[in-house]
Amino acid sequence: MKQLVSAPALFVGAGICLVGGLLLAFLYAPVDASSMGFSQKIFYYHVPIAETALVAFGIAFVAAIAYLRTQNLKWDRLGVVCVRLGLLFSLLVMITGMIWGKAAWDVWWAWEPRLTTFLLVCFLYIAYLVLRSVVEEEQRRATYAAVFAIIAFIDVPITFFATRFLPEGLHPVVITAGGTGMEGSMLVGFLISMLGMTLLLVALIRRDLAVEDLKDRVADLKHSIGG
Amino acid sequence: MAILRKDLIRELRTREMLISMILFVLLAMVIFHYAFTVKEGADLTYFTGGMLWVTFIFAMLLGLNRSFAQEKDERCLDGLLLCPVDRVIIFLAKTAGNLIFLLLIQVVAVPVFTLFFVERSYVGDLLPFLVVLLLADVGICALGTLLATISMNTRSRDLLLPIIFLPLIVPVLIAATGATTLIFAEGAGFGGLLARVLFLLGFDAVFVVAAYGTYDFAIGE
Repeated sequence: MKQLVSAPALFVGAGICLVGGLLLAFLYAPVDASSMGFSQKIFYYHVPIAETALVAFGIAFVAAIAYLRTQNLKWDRLGVVCVRLGLLFSLLVMITGMIWGKAAWDVWWAWEPRLTTFLLVCFLYIAYLVLRSVVEEEQRRATYAAVFAIIAFIDVPITFFATRFLPEGLHPVVITAGGTGMEGSMLVGFLISMLGMTLLLVALIRRDLAVEDLKDRVADLKHSIGG
Repeated sequence: MAILRKDLIRELRTREMLISMILFVLLAMVIFHYAFTVKEGADLTYFTGGMLWVTFIFAMLLGLNRSFAQEKDERCLDGLLLCPVDRVIIFLAKTAGNLIFLLLIQVVAVPVFTLFFVERSYVGDLLPFLVVLLLADVGICALGTLLATISMNTRSRDLLLPIIFLPLIVPVLIAATGATTLIFAEGAGFGGLLARVLFLLGFDAVFVVAAYGTYDFAIGE
């Protein structure tokens, strides 16, 4: 995979898709017919960011299992990079979600299932980083982090389900079992944004992995000159 | 089995943990009373479920830290690890030990909280209440034992445990509090209660399996 697409190409691709999605959202897609009206435009970014965050945590989950099976530290590195990026995207989800909430329902925060779940997801993965910071030995840190990443990722859908027990929320349900509930003209912009966001994630993961490699080489070099 | 017996005997000999835990529960009740009595003669029935579960979860945090601190301080764990038993047995024994400990706390806490706060008799719903209690306890103990094993091996030990334990246990808190409040305040309406009981059952199943699968790694070498 490494040589398949160059890193700059990924970033450029992501940029084109994201700008394209934005243009489509504002110029091509109709203003939402429901009560949300114009504020619905943020949806073209908000939802792709959310899905990308979950994809990042999903990759971290798979990497954790792979690490426990192989004890190869490269999987641990992929895991931590994904968690860091997933956390970044989660914060963006919360920020865009709050902006939307203010515009659509006139509140910054509502204790409704999706927002609450993402809040907990943030806490969970911050805890993951805290856990890493208090274990010195590399192999052991990787093992604990992997165990925690597995447990945390299993907990996410469970939390989401549990929050359904709380009193009713405000969040619009867009994708239901019966279809997406979006018109074709909206769907195009949405899917392109989604693609752009995913490309961005892949590009960032690759860049971060490269940075980690560089860090290692610096450490090795320092070591070799007796620093 | 022997590990469980060892923990229980140890506890019965010293009694230090149990007595402080029971005091903790009683004190929590007093604190909650002052914190939530917002006006003269306020009815706290609707808050009691939440108070109980908050108390149990925090008591469990203290208990978990201690149950592993002892092992670590006197290097008993190394001895345990040398035993020719599956590591998973250690997990099951520790979980069972913590479960018994939590149940003992609840034997004291539930009647006391009921006596002081619940202004409605729920004797008729005692069976569903016990089911909820037991299911939530299993989830708390299984997850707590796994995470305490990890945290005791780190630099910050008992500081880390709440940070990794609390966000993971929120689903149990939501379901258990909801179910308990239903029982205390409204009587067990079958639909709402059943959904929560099934949820707790699912949570237990998923996390007992997940902990079972990962414990070998968590306890380390």
